[in-house]
Amino acid sequence: MKKWFFIPFIILSGLLQLTVLDSWRIFQVKPDLLLVSMVWACFIFNFRQAFLLSIFCAVLKDTFLPWPFGINTILFPLWCFLIFKLRKQLTLDYAPLQIALIFIVTLMQNIATGLMLILMGYTIAAGIFLRIVGVGSLYTTLTGALSLWVLMRMNLLRSE
Amino acid sequence: MFRFEKKNLIKLALALCIVLTLVSLNPVSRQILLFTLKFPLILLKASQREAIALFTFHRNFFQSENLRKQIDLLNQEINALKELETENERLKRLLSLGETLNFKVIVARVVAHSPDSWSHAFLIDKGTRHGVAKGMTVMSYLGLLGRIIEANPGTSKVLLVSDPNFAVSALVQRSRQEGLVCGTLGGYLMMRYLPADSDVNTGDTVVTSGLNGRFPKGLVIGSVVEVRKEFSDLNRYAIIKPATPLSSIEEILVVIQ
Repeated sequence: MKKWFFIPFIILSGLLQLTVLDSWRIFQVKPDLLLVSMVWACFIFNFRQAFLLSIFCAVLKDTFLPWPFGINTILFPLWCFLIFKLRKQLTLDYAPLQIALIFIVTLMQNIATGLMLILMGYTIAAGIFLRIVGVGSLYTTLTGALSLWVLMRMNLLRSE
Repeated sequence: MFRFEKKNLIKLALALCIVLTLVSLNPVSRQILLFTLKFPLILLKASQREAIALFTFHRNFFQSENLRKQIDLLNQEINALKELETENERLKRLLSLGETLNFKVIVARVVAHSPDSWSHAFLIDKGTRHGVAKGMTVMSYLGLLGRIIEANPGTSKVLLVSDPNFAVSALVQRSRQEGLVCGTLGGYLMMRYLPADSDVNTGDTVVTSGLNGRFPKGLVIGSVVEVRKEFSDLNRYAIIKPATPLSSIEEILVVIQ
């Protein structure tokens, strides 16, 4: 029952990402709390529930993006599927490993989104591309570590 | 590892169906989500504004004192400019030039920003109910800000000039040199397709040309901070500092006529 408290956590993350976090940009980059929430959902829920939550996070994010095509609705469930595949091969109940996983997922998400924009014909300078990919991934990882601490305090997530 | 069993394939096909249905239903789900989240977003944005106001009260108090003095000075300048405007109007009428800078605008508040760093857009609290429509120009008191890319009954989505998907035909005010201003995802804009011998200097003001009819003519976009050569060496491009600071937009004007 308690794990369902995670759904308000996702909505709150989305609302913060759309409003308050815009004032906390570093090098014009802000963290992706919805992606972090999706990764934590993979550790809290079973595959089916986590898959549905990843779609929810993605739709919430795509709603506020200016692109007509919902790229996140494809990417988020894909990351969710891959995380569950990885969890079958590796034990990921160790906090540093979970944070490293967030970094990898964010890095792949940023690279995929950036490449999609370039393939759509938009001009993005190499420096800006690398800044968003690098700084964005690091910043999201830091907020991921912070949210891990919050979720552990709420006893929603167990980690060593 | 993933095995190609019948059960697994059915599950995978079902998941793909759900994802693809959601992708195609994106515009419908957007409207429902936007309607549901509009009020929590307004509330959160208002509390953020109030919290900032509390923290910055002392600084704002002294700032308002200084601003009051500046208002008095500016009022004097306005009076002088009114005289000039009257003279300008009279001369324009003599030259039979059409007046192009009279817009009908509505004021809107920003309620949410883009959720990621790959796009520069925001959501405003005015929609089709208030007369906003897709394609309308968005500006501030200082200059061009962007355009409406999606209009719902109560909210609208604005694409900022700094988004790479944004492009506007522009002119250098001094030399009338034409170019295309595009967003870069950074703090500056880029004016492209300038010939190698173009007359563009640092400090020049760049305005909308009104050529494609999407944007009114003469709106200030920004000023040139640097002129560089393109990689091919055939053209030049100018780096432009936007007239409006794009990081702290609270209220905007939508040109509805």
